[in-house]
Parts: sequence; C-alpha cells; structure tokens
Amino acid sequence: MKKSMLTAALGCALTGLFMLGQAATAADLKIGIMVPTTGSEATAGKDMENAILLAADEINQAGGVLGMKITTTTGDDACDPQQATAAASKLVSADVAAVVGGYCSGATLPTLKLYGDAGVPFIIAASNSTKLIDANQGNAFLVNSTGYDQVNTAVELFTSKGANKLAIIHQGDGYSEDLAKLTKEKWSSLGKEVVAYEVVNKGEQDHSSLVTRIKSKAPDAIFWTAYYADGALVIKQLRQAGYRKLIAVGDGSNSPKLLEIGGKATEGVFCFSNPTVDYLPAAKAFSEAYKKKYDQDPDAYSSLAYDGMKLMADAIQRAGSTDKAAIIKAIAATKDFKGIAGPISFTPKNTLAHSNFVTLIAKGGKWVLNK
Amino acid sequence: MSTLDILLQQLANGLILGSFYALVALGYTMVYGIIKLLNFAHGDLYMCGAFIGFLFLSLVSGLLGESWGGILCSMILSMITVGLLGVLIQRVAYLPMLAAPRLSILITALAVSMVLSNGVMALTDGEYEAFSTDLGFEGLEMGNVFVTYTQIALVVSAALLMVTLFFFINRTMYGKAMRAIAIDQDACRLMGINVNKVITLTFFIGSALAAAAGVMAGVYYGSVHFFMGFVIGLKAFTAAVIGGIGSIRGAMLGGLVLGLLEAFGTQIPFIGSEWKDVFSFGILILLLVFKPTGLLGKTEIERM
Repeated sequence: MKKSMLTAALGCALTGLFMLGQAATAADLKIGIMVPTTGSEATAGKDMENAILLAADEINQAGGVLGMKITTTTGDDACDPQQATAAASKLVSADVAAVVGGYCSGATLPTLKLYGDAGVPFIIAASNSTKLIDANQGNAFLVNSTGYDQVNTAVELFTSKGANKLAIIHQGDGYSEDLAKLTKEKWSSLGKEVVAYEVVNKGEQDHSSLVTRIKSKAPDAIFWTAYYADGALVIKQLRQAGYRKLIAVGDGSNSPKLLEIGGKATEGVFCFSNPTVDYLPAAKAFSEAYKKKYDQDPDAYSSLAYDGMKLMADAIQRAGSTDKAAIIKAIAATKDFKGIAGPISFTPKNTLAHSNFVTLIAKGGKWVLNK
Repeated sequence: MSTLDILLQQLANGLILGSFYALVALGYTMVYGIIKLLNFAHGDLYMCGAFIGFLFLSLVSGLLGESWGGILCSMILSMITVGLLGVLIQRVAYLPMLAAPRLSILITALAVSMVLSNGVMALTDGEYEAFSTDLGFEGLEMGNVFVTYTQIALVVSAALLMVTLFFFINRTMYGKAMRAIAIDQDACRLMGINVNKVITLTFFIGSALAAAAGVMAGVYYGSVHFFMGFVIGLKAFTAAVIGGIGSIRGAMLGGLVLGLLEAFGTQIPFIGSEWKDVFSFGILILLLVFKPTGLLGKTEIERM
C-alpha cells in the first residue's frame, strides 16, 4: 500500500516536471478526440483513435501547426449518448482548441449542443445520420457522406445502367426505411417509376412471396437498403427465381458475410460503401504507415478519421491562430482539400459537397471497386 | 407475369414452405399426442439440427463434397445427433415432470427452449453462419414459373420422410404401441407395453424430423443462426393446430395448408409480404376460437 502510494506520488511529480518541461519549450496545440474506446464499438473507435494519432504524429514530424506541437486528449463516448455528453464536457473543460471524432451517430448527436455552446470546432469523422445536420450549430463539419449522398450515388448507378423501373426493399427499421424513402422520393422526382416498395420482417427466412410479387412487376433494378444477413437470403431467392437484372445493396450490407451466405447468387451485385481503406488508391501510404505503427490493418473508418485530423491541422494553419471562431471559418472555407478518402469541400450546411460513397461490385466472392 | 403464372408460382412456393412446416409440425403433434405436452423447445431442435448439419457438412465435405452426397450424409448424422439430444432433453427435463401439473411441464419446455437458443447463441457469438453448398440454380422453367431442382429435391425428401413415418406409425408394432399410448397409458402398461421406451422413441423420431427440416432449411436458404427456430416453432405449432393437434395426418395437412395460405395470402393486393405473419397467426386465433380441434382432430370426450 505504502509502496504504491509512493509510486503514485513519484509519478505525479514526474508528470508535473515533464509538463513543465514541455510548457517551457513550446506551446501545445490541444486537440480533443472523441471516439468510443470501450463498449460494443470499441474496436472501431480505437481504430479511429489510432488513425488520428498517426496523422498528429506526421504533422508534428513535419513541424507542427503554426509552430506548435499537437497534443491530444481522448474522450471515450462508449457509443452511448450519456457517456458521450460526459466525454464532450471533459474535452470542453480541458480547453481543447478543436475536436475530431464521432463514430456512433446516436452518441454524437447530444454532444453537438455542448460543442456548439462552447463554440468548439468539431470535425465529425464517421457519424453520418441526417439528424446531425439539423442539430448542428454551425461549428461541426461532417467529412463522411450522409444518407442523402448514398441516395445520389445509387440513383447515378441505376441511371447509368439504363434502369427505369425500380424496386426498393427495406426492413422497417429507421436506417433502412430512411434510405428507402429518400431513394423513392429522388427516383420519382426524376420522373421514373418505383414499381415496388416492399418491407420484409427481420429474421424472416422465406421470401418466396416477396420474390414472386417483385418479379411480376419486372423491375430493371432492385435496391435492398437493409443489412447483409437477410439481404443475402433475399438476393439468393431472387436469383433462384430467375431474376437476372441489376441488384444493388446499401452500405448496411457492405460485408463479406453477404457474399459468403449468398454464394454464387451474389456475384455481380452492386454495393455502396463509405470510402474504406481497401478501396482507396490514395490511401496506400497511410495504410502502410498504419500497419507499421500498430501492427494491424486499418479498419473501415480510419481513412476518414485520418483525413479529419489532417483537415483540422490544415484549417488551423490557414486560420493563422487558435481562435475557435477563426478555425471554424477556415474549415468552412475549405476548398478541395486532398483527403485520402476523396476531396473535401463543404456545403452551406457543413456536409460534404461531393459524395465520397464508392460503388463496389461482387466479383469472385469479393467486393471490388466498380470502375 | 400473368395472374395464372403468379398463382402457379405461389402454389410451388407454398408447397415448399409447407413441407418445412409439416416436418416440424409432425414432431410437435407426436409429442403432444403421446404425453400431452406442447414441446416449445421443438423449434430450437430444428435450429440445433441446422447447426449440427452445418458442422457435419464442413467435416464431410472434404470426403463427399458439398453437393447431394455430403448433404445427405450430414443430414442423417444430424438427425441421429438431434434425435439423441431430444431423448436427453426428455430424460432430464420432462420425465421427472410427467406427474406434475400440465402447466409446470409447459414452463419447463419454455426453459429448455431458452437454454438451447441461448446456448447456441453463446457458442456462435450470435453470428450468422453461411451454409456453403454447391448446388446450382438450374431448374424447370414453365413459362414464367420457375422451380429449381434443389426445391424439388427438398419437397421430395420431405415427402419421403413423411411417408416412411406414416408407415411406421400404421404398420409396425412400435407404431401401434404409440397409438395405444396416446389413447390410454395405464392400460398400455397393464398390457405389458414398455411405455417409457415408446415415449423415448417418439422424442427421438420427432427431434430427428425437426433436424432434417433444419438441415434442409440450411441448404435451401444458405444461412443458419441461433434465432431461426423461433418463428418456425410458432408456425409449426400453428400448422399442428390447423391439422388437429395430436393427429399425424393432420400435421402433414396443416403444414401444407399453412404454407399455401401464406403464399396466396400475401399476394392479395394491398396486403404486402410483411403481413405474412399476421396472416398465419390470425388464422391460428380464428381456428382456436371456432374449431379448436382442427381439420382432422377428433373432439375429445373427457370421461369423469
């Protein structure tokens, strides 16, 4: 007991000395990271944290921002709204100059008010619910495409394949219904026809009735907006029943499991995906640096997290000071920032001006970039 | 597709779905017939059958391939394993409860169901497993109506299993003993029939049939997961009630009727396929209210 107290005291003293030493050499630029590092989404959160730290290291090695070294503080949102508000309060009271992060939309949503009230610039790396757009007070920027962008990418694909009659299937949950509804509205607004708009129950195995219904409407393309497990069964049964035309799935079905369960039936299926590292030619150097530093492959949202940190540093450099309002202004003025996940510019609503969704196609049991 | 095409296609779909229901319903009805227990764990035995078939298929696929040879072999192995699992459940969970009030054993059955589904969930981390088979999509195409050879093979094997069972029940001494026990257990004991042995056999056969249906579903749909037995358990129960619970022929008929009702019910305009379950369970409620004995069930006379 005594010994541990002694160690703790010593530790404190050393840290104090260390911090003094740091403060003496140069002022630091404090950046907050908000990701889930515990709980169900901890793997994804840690991966994002890794990518952000990697970006910060690279910036520091290249001389820092405005002559300052970046130091980071991580707030764990645990993918939980309550924990997230606690994490955001922690970061705000630690007086960070800006925050990068945000994985679960549900957890990011309540923090927007906290950061907004404190005027902290916030780059949201992964969360992309359309609800975030309305709750934003102007200080937050989404570098991941939202549901609207996916709809645009999807509609582009269907149009390029000459489709007129579209069938949409969702599962009645918030995410897949939202995507289905937006696609339906967009497709109808183009003067084209949605011939079937169907719902299937979650966990249902037999979709033969649905398949007959859809087949009888003879759609040129079918869009499944829900998740992979049931999606694989629907696709399999559509193909089994002799449907040979275009099938596309939303990003909820972007999983190798879909191809594993669906087998041969899923060959040639299109999928819309967030820009994950595997499909980004520009991310090669990042991917190698990440592997070297952490001895593991970068996961889905690491590229966006990395871009988020790089963009933040770039904006602060352009702002010329760590004044929060100036940084926000600088981020908003970003013009075609070269991120590894694609160019970044913002709309007046602080969302991406160009969709960064990529279209994948199933080939030989694997997802590959559709060219 | 013309309306006739749609009707024919749905007839085929309904028969395929119905034969799954019928196979599972048979186990329900046999167990109910013999010890008056609604074995709610039956759907989970179907799920266990699918998983064990999945395991065996990955073991034997090296030797026999992932086509019909391997599937048949893993199906038989799965039927034996799950049959024994059914017997184990009967010995451990139901046998000590036979003398207890009917409600206690019903609750025990629910508990067994939870143990099985949660056990498999824990073992598989709740993941979907892909049932990789090597079956093509070739089939018979009649105009716009399309039936794959896989579907035909599944319906034929289900029919074969049911015919075999039918002969077993009606033409063998064990079958006769089963029917006798369903009527009066005490009299059977007095006549020198080994009642416990016959009950064990009933559980074995019922569970094995559920396993067969589970493996078929795995092959047909291509994926298995721990929750797959829940809905089919309820559907099979509905099928058994439609046919008249306790009646073997009733379960077969009820399964097919339910499959066809679902297939056609969901084609009614303005009723989407999402109404499928509302449709089948609505029928269950109506039947329980107006004809609780089902299509082939006999009215039971309770003698005091």
